[in-house]
Formats: sequence, C-alpha cells, structure tokens
Amino acid sequence: MHMATTLTINGETKSFDAPPDMPLLWVLRDILGMTGTKFGCGIAQCGACTVHVDGKAVRSCVLPVSSVANRAITTIEHVGSTPAGAKVQKAWLDAEVVQCGYCQSGQIMAAAALLAATPNPDDSDIDAAMAGNICRCGTYVRIREAIKHAANGQS
Amino acid sequence: MSGKMRILTSLIVIAIVAVVSGVWIIRGPGPLDFAGGPKVALADYRAGKPTGVPAKLEKASLVERGEYLAKAADCMVCHTKPGEKDYSGGLAFKLPFGTLYSTNITPDKDTGIGNYSDQDFLGAVQHGKRRDGARLYPAMPYTSYTFMTDEDVLAVKAYLFSLPAVRAKAPDNTLSFPFNQRWAMLFWSAVFNPDTRFAPDTSKSPEWNRGAYLAEALAHCGECHTPRNLGFALDNRKKFAGAITAGWRAFNISSDKATGLGSWRDEDLISYLSLGHAPGHGSASGPMGEAVDHSFSQFAPEDISSIVAYLRSVPPVPSPDLPATTAPVGPASHKDGVTADARGKKVFASACASCHGWSGESPVSPMATLTGTWAVNDPAATNVAQIVISGTKRHTPDGALSMPAFGNAYSDDEIAAVANYVTARFGAKGSKLTAKDVAGLREQTAE
Repeated sequence: MHMATTLTINGETKSFDAPPDMPLLWVLRDILGMTGTKFGCGIAQCGACTVHVDGKAVRSCVLPVSSVANRAITTIEHVGSTPAGAKVQKAWLDAEVVQCGYCQSGQIMAAAALLAATPNPDDSDIDAAMAGNICRCGTYVRIREAIKHAANGQS
Repeated sequence: MSGKMRILTSLIVIAIVAVVSGVWIIRGPGPLDFAGGPKVALADYRAGKPTGVPAKLEKASLVERGEYLAKAADCMVCHTKPGEKDYSGGLAFKLPFGTLYSTNITPDKDTGIGNYSDQDFLGAVQHGKRRDGARLYPAMPYTSYTFMTDEDVLAVKAYLFSLPAVRAKAPDNTLSFPFNQRWAMLFWSAVFNPDTRFAPDTSKSPEWNRGAYLAEALAHCGECHTPRNLGFALDNRKKFAGAITAGWRAFNISSDKATGLGSWRDEDLISYLSLGHAPGHGSASGPMGEAVDHSFSQFAPEDISSIVAYLRSVPPVPSPDLPATTAPVGPASHKDGVTADARGKKVFASACASCHGWSGESPVSPMATLTGTWAVNDPAATNVAQIVISGTKRHTPDGALSMPAFGNAYSDDEIAAVANYVTARFGAKGSKLTAKDVAGLREQTAE
C-alpha cells in the first residue's frame, strides 16, 4: 500500500509515494536519491544510517517513514549548514579521521548531535553518544580527537 | 460394627472429608464468582446477547462468524509454529516438567482434526477430551473455552474446516513422570474444569456480560494473568493479579489502582488492546503482543469496550513486589541518574540509547518510550530481558515499528547487565539479574 507522504528534509518539503512502514533510510536513498546516508546493518546496531530527527541522532534504517511526518529531518547532505555540523566536518578534515569512509556519515551525524546538545563533551559524553557508531577501520581515536577539536574550536 | 471397624470407618470418613475439603480449598472460586449477582441460563437472558459475534457480523456466514470467534479465542497463536502454516500446530511449550507441543487443527484427516464430528470438537474444546477419548493437557485452555456456547464452538469448527488441510504431525510430548500420565488429567479435569456454559449475571449490564463472555470464554485472559494454585489451575482468589507465563510476566490486570489497571483511563485500555500501545504505558510485546496482533486488534470496537467494562469490575488485588508508582522520566544526560552497572551502561550506549534515549523517552516514537512501563518498573526485569532477547514488533495502522532481537548478539551476562542498568535508570528499583537468570528466561519461552 503506497501513500502520499510529505516530509521536511534539510529544510525542504519533499513529497513522494511510499508504504507507511518503509524505513526512512530507504526513502532517502532509493526514492529521493540522497545516498549520503549509508545502509550498514539494517537493524540499528551499527550507526551508519544515522540522521537527525528534531536535532537528535536516530537510526533511519528502523524508522518507519510514517513516524517522522511533521518532524525536522537533517541528513549528512545538509548537516554542514548547522553550526555544530560545520565544526565537526572541519575537524574531521583537519584530523584526517576518514579511512574507508563508509561509516563516516553516521559518525559525523552522531558527533554533530552530540556537540549541539553538549558543546564541551568529556570522554564519557563521547562514549555515551558515539558507542552505537561502529567503524571497521578503527578510526575511533581520531574520531575522539576530532570531536574535542571541534568542541574547542581548534583546528 | 466392632470397635475397630468403627474407628476404621471414622478414619476413612475423616480422610475423605479432608481430601474433599482440601481439593475444595485448592480449587477456590470460579472465574466469574466475584461478580456475585444472580445468574440465569443464557436462553432466559433477555437484556442483551453476550455470546456470538458483534452486530455487524450477525448476518455473516457461519464460516465468517467462526473466523471472528476463532480470532477472539486466539486459537492460531498457540496452534502455529512460527514459520509454519497457520493452525498446523507444533509450537513447543516448555514447562518445568517437560515440553508440550500444540496440535494440528487444520482439517487434515491423518494429522489434523479432519475426522472430528461436531460432538468430538465440542468434547475437545469444552471438556478437554480428544476424539480418541484421551484427555487434553490444560495448556489447551478448555477450562476457559468450556464457557463458550455450543453454537460458537461449532462456528469455530466450521471456520477451521474451511481452511486448507495441512499435513503436519507435531513432535511427541516429552513430559516426565507423573505428568506424562494423560489419564490422570481425568481427575484434574473433574476438579478444575467448571464444565459449564456461560450464564449471564442479571445484576450487571449487558455490556459487562458481553465483556465477561469475551474475556473468560474466548480471550482466556486469566490463563496468563491469573496466578496458578497447587494443582496448576487458576487461583481465582487472586484473579488477574499477574503471573509468569512462558518466561514472560503477564502483569496485574485487576482493578488495583497502584499495580493493576485501576488508574488507566478507558482510552488507554482501548488503545492498548486494539493497537498494542497506550501512551505512557508502553507497548505490548511477547505473548501479549501476539494476542494483540492476532486477536484483540481484530475485535469490533464495541467488543473492546465491553472487555474494558468487564476488567474494571474485577476486584483489586495488589502486586506487592511492584512499586506504588512508576518512576518518572530519567535525566537527559547519561552522567546523571543511576550508573551503578558500568557494563550495562556500555551495552545501553551502543545498542539502546539511539532509539530509547538516555531519558527513557524515545526520540523515535512514543511506542519506544521506556518510562512509565511496568517492564522497566518490575524489579525482576523479566520482560526487559525477554524483549532484549527476542525483540518486539508492533503493527499499527501506519505500519510496523520494531526492535531487533539482541538475543544472539549479546551474552547472557551482557543482557543481565543491560536489564539491570535499564531497570535502575528508568524504573523504581533496579533488578539484580544474573547470567544464569537470563539463561533460565531463554529456556522458558515457547517456540
């Protein structure tokens, strides 16, 4: 059953037909062609698909599209225009965080949500916010460093 | 009579009286005795029609009426093994004394109930007697179905016989002695099966009587929600006070204000039964989730309201192990609140926080909010551990929302740790589960 659905994504109104229980991730990638958000595990255990819903980091692979109508969705394509997102992206480049890069959209989204809520996170804040984002390349040390740099405004 | 004979006779009489009164005390009241009003035979009840199907199906075919009633009696969930054909049986019930398998109730003549006459079917459903004369174990809730009218039971039969026959033989039960002695169920049944049809209570409203029929004869709420007595039958002195069934806790649904349903609003109860979720009370999971998906969600709205009216009348029985009030929303920061279990916190941070939030109020959906649920406020954490192990899925008019099963991803130790962390952070009192407890819970779930 397809339904006409309207979402607010990155400040723009997007309308499309989709089954109400289609995961937001599928809508983003397959219907809207926004492929910056990645598919990892599909069961909310790796964090690759992280987006913001009302500013909070959530896993879009298990989020039915019907549950996010009327809520503000931000994806990796647009997070650079938020103050925290811009800082995180700059710090990521400066610290050369990325290795293979597959998980990094999710890492950046999680880090941006963390800094927006907790501007000066300590290690335990970083653990609590980032533990659900897995990186097979093991860039965790550089992720932590980049988050601290972004918080301090250093580069 | 000699003196010795007289003494012997007296002893025998005393023994019989002791056994009979013992049995009588254990058996206790019937499921509807609490209502207390005068009862009349169904045929003499004029105020309403508590049995059968709702008005919209009154003119429907026998098979359609039977389908509604079969769903109301929730036959399918127990008589279907996950992944197999509907009603083909084989679901395993793991009991402390062995495993029972549900039977194939499709109309297959060799492995199902294809040879059952109307009388045979009534015998099984109302009296717990198989076609071959053998006794059924009360895992089949015939002590509840016995209250169904013949007409309704036979409508269910017509529906089952309209389904495709499936050839499937359930595995043999593995019960230990003495529980493997089926014949002994004859005595069990004589004591614990009321073996009587529903009789309306004239002091109550027609709506109440409809609710009583649906809840007792069909939905068999008490089979999970009423604790059991020494004879493993329902102890209606503690009617609907909650119990552990198949490794899940069926919570108190008596009218107790603090630990039962007394403080739920009507709309909460209606929403919970028909959608499996009520704001601030959590979402139905495990066996209740199945009951909602396959049974209550199919009920006509007026039937749900009748059940609610009936539930309201069940006398309050408190659950002393539950807190008087559920805990409020947790702190927004991971740093505040209880952080006793460092390992549990680690698991929560990596697997749970992104959907449930550090406050317990889900950023994703109210259906995933932990705050206010009995599961996290139960100091035994039974259902928290079970949901972590097997996940949960709620079907709503807008589609399904699901939580993945973590049972294979995490060890018993990790699941115990996260359950202890979750109940301490979001509940009134933290649990003290061990890996062994979690292993025990895994053992008990039906599959």
